[in-house]
Amino acid sequence: MTSTGITGRLYLNPLIILGGLLFAFIVLSSFQAQLLTQADPLGTDLGAIRQAPSLEHPFGTDGVGRDVLARVAHGGRLSLQIAGVGMIGSLLVGSITGLLAVFAPKPVRWSVERAIDIQLAFPYVLMAIAITSAVRPSTIVLILLMILAGWAASARVVRSIALQERGKDYVKAAAVLGIPKLRVVLLHVFPTVWPSVVVLAAMQMAAMIVFEATLSFLGMGIQPPTPSWGGIMLDGKNYITSSWWLTTLPGLAILVTSLSLILIGEGLQKRSLFLRSRESDS
Amino acid sequence: MVDRVLNVEDMSVKYPGRGGLITVVDQVSLSVDAGKSLVIAGESGSGKSMICQALLGIVPGAGQVSGTRMDWRGKNLLELDEAGWRSVRGSEIAMVFQDPTAALNPLITVGSQIIDVIRTHRRCSRSEAKNRAIESLELAGFSEPAQQLRRYPSELSGGMRQRVAIALALCCEPSLIIADEATSNLDVSIQAKIVTLLHELKDKLGLALIFVTHDLGLASEIGGDLLVMYAGSMVEYGPVQSVLDNPSHPYTIGLLQSAPTLHSTRDNPLKPIPGQPPRPGTIGTGAPFVERCPVAVQGVCDRKRPTWTRVGAGHQVACHRFALDKEGGSL
Amino acid sequence: MTPIIDAKNITKVFGASRSPHAARALNDVSVDVYPGETVGVVGESGSGKTTLARIMIGIESATKGQVYKDGHLLESRVDWRNLRLNVQYVFQDPFTALCPTMRIGAALAEPLSVHKKCPASERLGRVSEMLKKVGLHPDMARRLPVQLSGGQRQRVSLARALMLEPSVLICDEIVSGLDVSVQAQVLQLLVDLQKDLGISIVFISHDLRVIRYLCDRVYVMYKGEVVEQGKTGPIFENPSHQYTKNLLASIPGARHDKSTPVVQVTS
Ligand SMILES: Nc1ncnc2c1ncn2[C@@H]1O[C@H](COP(=O)(O)OP(=O)(O)OP(=O)(O)O)[C@@H](O)[C@H]1O
Ligand SMILES: Nc1ncnc2c1ncn2[C@@H]1O[C@H](COP(=O)(O)OP(=O)(O)OP(=O)(O)O)[C@@H](O)[C@H]1O
Ligand SMILES: [Mg+2]
Ligand SMILES: [Mg+2]
Repeated sequence: MTSTGITGRLYLNPLIILGGLLFAFIVLSSFQAQLLTQADPLGTDLGAIRQAPSLEHPFGTDGVGRDVLARVAHGGRLSLQIAGVGMIGSLLVGSITGLLAVFAPKPVRWSVERAIDIQLAFPYVLMAIAITSAVRPSTIVLILLMILAGWAASARVVRSIALQERGKDYVKAAAVLGIPKLRVVLLHVFPTVWPSVVVLAAMQMAAMIVFEATLSFLGMGIQPPTPSWGGIMLDGKNYITSSWWLTTLPGLAILVTSLSLILIGEGLQKRSLFLRSRESDS
Repeated sequence: MVDRVLNVEDMSVKYPGRGGLITVVDQVSLSVDAGKSLVIAGESGSGKSMICQALLGIVPGAGQVSGTRMDWRGKNLLELDEAGWRSVRGSEIAMVFQDPTAALNPLITVGSQIIDVIRTHRRCSRSEAKNRAIESLELAGFSEPAQQLRRYPSELSGGMRQRVAIALALCCEPSLIIADEATSNLDVSIQAKIVTLLHELKDKLGLALIFVTHDLGLASEIGGDLLVMYAGSMVEYGPVQSVLDNPSHPYTIGLLQSAPTLHSTRDNPLKPIPGQPPRPGTIGTGAPFVERCPVAVQGVCDRKRPTWTRVGAGHQVACHRFALDKEGGSL
Repeated sequence: MTPIIDAKNITKVFGASRSPHAARALNDVSVDVYPGETVGVVGESGSGKTTLARIMIGIESATKGQVYKDGHLLESRVDWRNLRLNVQYVFQDPFTALCPTMRIGAALAEPLSVHKKCPASERLGRVSEMLKKVGLHPDMARRLPVQLSGGQRQRVSLARALMLEPSVLICDEIVSGLDVSVQAQVLQLLVDLQKDLGISIVFISHDLRVIRYLCDRVYVMYKGEVVEQGKTGPIFENPSHQYTKNLLASIPGARHDKSTPVVQVTS
C-alpha cells in the first residue's frame, strides 16, 4: 500500500518531508545566522541606506543601512522562540481544559465549555491590541497573549476526541478496576489524543508566528531595535512604494515558515489518519 | 461446471519483528467455488483473521502479504493497486469483521449507514433503499427491524452489532462473503436463521462463502470444505463431514475431544490439548504441532515440515505420523 | 445464607422514559448470586444480559431496582467503588475493552500497582504467571492490543480482571472467540479458581453446552425478562418456556443429531 504516498517505517509522506526540510532550513538560518550572513543585524551604516538587494546585501538594507538579511535571520530566532513557547503554552492549557471539559465534575465541565465558546467567539487580535495598549508590551505579555489567543482551539480538538474516548469500554474497564480517574485521563485517554495534539502543534506554531508578526507590526510586540519579523516589516512600512524589499522579504520569511509548518501539520494529519485506518482494520 | 472464484496458493503474511520477519500465516493455499463454502477453524491466534484480511488487502499494521498466486475471478490480487482494491472490496468481496464495531461508524445511525451502502451499490431512491435496509435487517435476524434504523451503534448489544454488520455485508450484494466469527455472539436460534439465509444465497445467487468459526457443530451445518489452522499453518483440509467424521491430524482430534457437549458436566472435566501453542516466529523446521503432539515421531516430526497426505476424496492432512501409518512402515 | 450479590427488581429504560423511542432493556429482573456458586445467564441476543451485568457492577445505573452486596444496599459512589474491589467484570467486546496505547504488560500490572497488591518487584512475575494461566505466552506482555488476535485479547481482558483476585467474577461472553481447546483451558481455570478460592462466577453465554458444563444455576432471559430460572440440570432436561425449548433444539450439531465424533488418539 505505497500508493497513498506513505513511505518507510516512520510512515513519512511528501508533505511532511517538504515541510520539514523548509522548516529545518528556517530554523538553522535563524539560530545559526552567522552561517548565512556575517553582517551585524544592529550595525547601522548611514552610507548605505535603503539599498536594493545585491550580492553584498542579498535582502538589501534598511532606512539606517542595516543588512535586512541579517535582521531577518536574527529576527527569526526571537520570533520562533516566542512562537514556540506560545504554542507549547497554548497546547498545554488547551489539553488540560479540553480534558477537564470532558472528565471534570459537572459544574467545572460546564464552565470550561462556556469559556471555550466565549473564547472562540472573541476577536483576539482586537483583544490583544486592547491589552497591549493598557500594559507595556514585553516578551512575557506577548506569550501570555498568544496562550490566551490559542488555547481554545486546541481545547476544542482535545475535548472532541476525549468525548469519543470517554464512551469506550476501556475507560469503563479502568473504572471497574478501580484505577483513579486522573490516572485514567492521563495514562489511558491522553495517549490516544496525543497524535492529534501533535498535528495541532504544527498548525498552532504557524498561527503563533503570524500572530507575533501581526502584533509586532502593529507596534505592540517586540520593541525596536531588537529585530523580529513583524518589527522589520513595521520599519519598512513607510517605504513600501520605493523600497519593496523592506517589507516583502521579511513577509516572505513569515509566509515560508508558516507554510512549512502547515505542510507538516497536513502531512502529520494524513499520516495519523492513515495509521488509524490501518489499525481499525484489525 | 465449477466456477472457481477464488484461488490462493502459498499465501504468507509476515510481520517485521526483532531479528527479522515473523510469519503469522505460512503458505496457505485455498480455493472457493461459486455457490460453495469454505469453513476455517483452528486455534485462537492461528492466523484466521489474517487470512481474511489478506484476501481484502487490509492486513493491519506493517504486515506483508506474499504468495505465488491469489486469483479472484481472473484478477490477480497480488498486483492490484489501491483503485483496483477499491473496486473489489465491498462490491465483489464483502467482509463481516470479527470486531463488529470496526465496520460501523459510531456517529451515524444504523439506518443511514445501511442506506448509504445500498445506494452506492445500486441506483434507487431513498425510500426504496430504506425498505431494502429494513428487509436486510430482518434477514439478519432482527424481529423489529424498522426500530433499529434510528439507533446508533453504541445503543446496540454485541450480538445486534454483529447482525448489523451481516446486514451491511448482504447489502453490498457481493459474490463472496468473508464472515470472520460473524455469529460468535449470537444465540443459537438466530445463528440457525443466518445459516439458513446463507445457504439460500449460495443456492440461489451462487454466493461464495468463507466462514471462520470455532464451533465445529456450526461448521458442519455450513458445509463445504473445512480448513483447520494451527500456529499459522494449514494442518487439515477437506470436506467438512469427512474431516469431522474422520479427523486425521492430532490437533484436529484434540480439538474435537476438548469440545463440550450438551451432556458434559464438571464431574468429567473437559480435556484441553496439553501445552501451549508456539509463538509465531519460534516454529522450527519441524511440524508446528510437534511440541504438543501425543504421537510425534522422534527425529522426523521435529526435523521436517510435513507435506500433504491424502486421507479421502479431497481430504488431506499435513502429518508425518499419518503418512507413516498409511505407508504401513517406519522410516 | 445471604447472597453475595443480589440485584432486585431491576428495570432499565434507555433514553427519556416517557419518550416514544425509549428502549426498555430490562423489566423487573431479579438475580442473586451466592458465595461459591456459578450462575449462568443465557438468552436471546439483545435480551439485556450485558445491561444487567453492567448494572450489577455499577457502570450503568438502574432506572428502578436495587443492588445489594452481602445484604447491604449499594447507594453512594463509595459503596460502588468498594464493591469493585471484590467484584470484577470481563467485558463482552474484546476489541474495545483494552486501552489501545497501553502495552499488555502495563495494562495487567496497573491494577496491582494502583491497589498496592504486591511489591513492585513481584509485579512482572505475577503478570507472566497470569498470562500463562490464560494460555498466552509471557512475551505477549510487550505487545499492544492491536497486535493480538480477538481470542488473545479476550484472554487478556480476563487476565486483567483476575489480577485483583476478585471474589465475584462476571464474565460476559468470554469464551465465544476461543477455539474449543483454549476454551476448555479457560473453563478449567474458572473451575479451579472456584474450587481453590471459592469465588462466585456469573457466566453470560449463548453457548448452552458451556453453560451446562460450568453452571450450578441458570437464568434464561428473553426480551428483557427472566423467563426461566433454576438448577441447570433440570432446566436442560425439562425446559418449560418455549424460548428455552427453541434454544435447546437449535444447538448446532443437536439440530441434525450429529454428536461430535469420539475419536481416540493411539500412540
Ligand atoms: N500487528 C501485528 N503484529 C504482530 N503480530 C500480530 C499482529 N496482529 C496479529 N498478530 C499475530 O498474528 C497471529 C494471527 O492473528 P489472527 O488475528 O489472524 O488470529 P485468529 O486466528 O483470527 O485468532 P482468533 O480466533 O483469536 O481471532 C496472532 O498470533 C497475533 O498475535
Ligand atoms: N446505550 C444504550 N442506549 C439505548 N439502548 C441500549 C443501550 N445499550 C443497550 N441498549 C438496548 O438494550 C437492549 C439489551 O442490550 P444488551 O446489550 O444488554 O443485550 P445482550 O443480552 O447483552 O445481547 P447480546 O447477547 O447480543 O450481547 C438491546 O435492545 C439494546 O439495543
Ligand atoms: Mg480472528
Ligand atoms: Mg451482551
